[in-house]
Amino acid sequence: MKLSRTKMALIGVICFSPQSLWAASCCGGGSATSLVLPKFSTSMINIALDIESYNGYWDGNGDYKEDPPGSDLNQYRLNFGYAHRLSSRWQAAIVAPYVWNSNQYAGLTSKTNGLGDMTLGLTYEAFDGIKCVWKVRDWKDLVPAAYFGMALTVPTGISPYDDVVNSFDITGRGFYRLDANMLLDKTIYPWNASLLLSYGKYLERDVNREYGKYVEPYKKELGDRMLGTASFGYTHFLDNMDTTTFTFTYSHLEEDAGSIDGRPDYSSEMEKNSIGAIAAYSTMNRDWVYKLTYIHAIPDSGQGQNFPVTDILTLGVSHVFR
Amino acid sequence: MYSVKSLLMSGILLVSLGLSGCGGITDDLAPSGEDKRPDVEVGSIGTQVGQQSPDWSLFDTLGTSRGLYAELDIPRDGVVLYFNMWCPICDSHASHMRVNVIPNFPEVSFFLVDYVTGSITASRDAQLANGYGDIETLVDAVQEVFDLYGASMGTTVVIGNDRIVRMNEDYKDGVKLTETLQALP
Repeated sequence: MKLSRTKMALIGVICFSPQSLWAASCCGGGSATSLVLPKFSTSMINIALDIESYNGYWDGNGDYKEDPPGSDLNQYRLNFGYAHRLSSRWQAAIVAPYVWNSNQYAGLTSKTNGLGDMTLGLTYEAFDGIKCVWKVRDWKDLVPAAYFGMALTVPTGISPYDDVVNSFDITGRGFYRLDANMLLDKTIYPWNASLLLSYGKYLERDVNREYGKYVEPYKKELGDRMLGTASFGYTHFLDNMDTTTFTFTYSHLEEDAGSIDGRPDYSSEMEKNSIGAIAAYSTMNRDWVYKLTYIHAIPDSGQGQNFPVTDILTLGVSHVFR
Repeated sequence: MYSVKSLLMSGILLVSLGLSGCGGITDDLAPSGEDKRPDVEVGSIGTQVGQQSPDWSLFDTLGTSRGLYAELDIPRDGVVLYFNMWCPICDSHASHMRVNVIPNFPEVSFFLVDYVTGSITASRDAQLANGYGDIETLVDAVQEVFDLYGASMGTTVVIGNDRIVRMNEDYKDGVKLTETLQALP
């Protein structure tokens, strides 16, 4: 049986909805891993506000520890993203976050702001046609949409190695990082599943200053970074053909030990597990997408290591130009 | 709709242009390995490496007043101060120091300096809650010593028994600290 025109239209517009802006923050700086443009669209803008609240940390043994009483640590990030199609299978993107730190930590109060680390992305789409189906009739219907990309994080934020006063001032990590990303996405209506795998390598850099104070120069490199996110969602069609999509995610993020003058530096080794829920509303032709995301790190021992426990609420809007 | 697109492109361009005028903030784009530490007059009073540290005193988390010169006069080979704010990086540094450095230097006094909790009681609670009851902790309630040494999270200061500052920088992997302590007179 042939698909009706309506169903065909729906497949087209939903398959070509924007992919999530995969974001992660780490000790002062937020940076996005990639911004993916929908198929058959020419460009897209994305504006998202992250509200990240800190709630204790995991120590080096993975034990959960609470912050001192009276602590209220928050970071707000306004992410400006733009993606542009270069050809039928290639696209590029840029994400620039502006960061506000608002911290009450025991007896300390600090409010600072500045540009975060920017991300430049290049993505290849390993498919030409529609990969979303209503019904599986053939094994080819199970083939997911596959995206392969590279992303370069540029240290435009304020890092510990800049001319800053203290650790509450930082908005970036201070290192270039190159990520290789793979996103597999499959929709069999009304269900959707996706898998994002990312492997990042930081570039070694010279350091001659720490928190505004010049020190004996040395070389430092952060450890390799791995991120995996699995998501599962359900799309509900409204009477006017707008859609609401509800997605649940699970993420694992880790960074290996770094190095200082070639010696292992275990102080930057870390791990974090988190779960998330996303509610998205899209107009019928998917040119506007409004998204509410909540990412929750579980404040229990064994869910992370050497890393703050945070919850991230994101309000985002994307506009796609066909 | 394209006016929105143009606006965003203009915004990104402005951000990029703004970066070029941010002076030291953009030093990370082209990091320098040049040694820019200022010259110091050896033996002068100050908190840079090579200078004689001024005296100070703080209460520890048991309510006892502890002075730098008094501590060095016990006598001790030196005093190590680790500026701590009970965070993941601090825990990583302090636990590494506890296992890999402190046992090797029994004639050196090691102190965590809590510059965030603001009171002896709160600092003691944080010390115990974070599992550091075995390392003496000083309470820098008004950040007096923190400011004196120009410290930040993880700053590690070594003062020899001649009162000369031997190290004043981030903890990192403990190698620099160990080398500094081995070189104490």
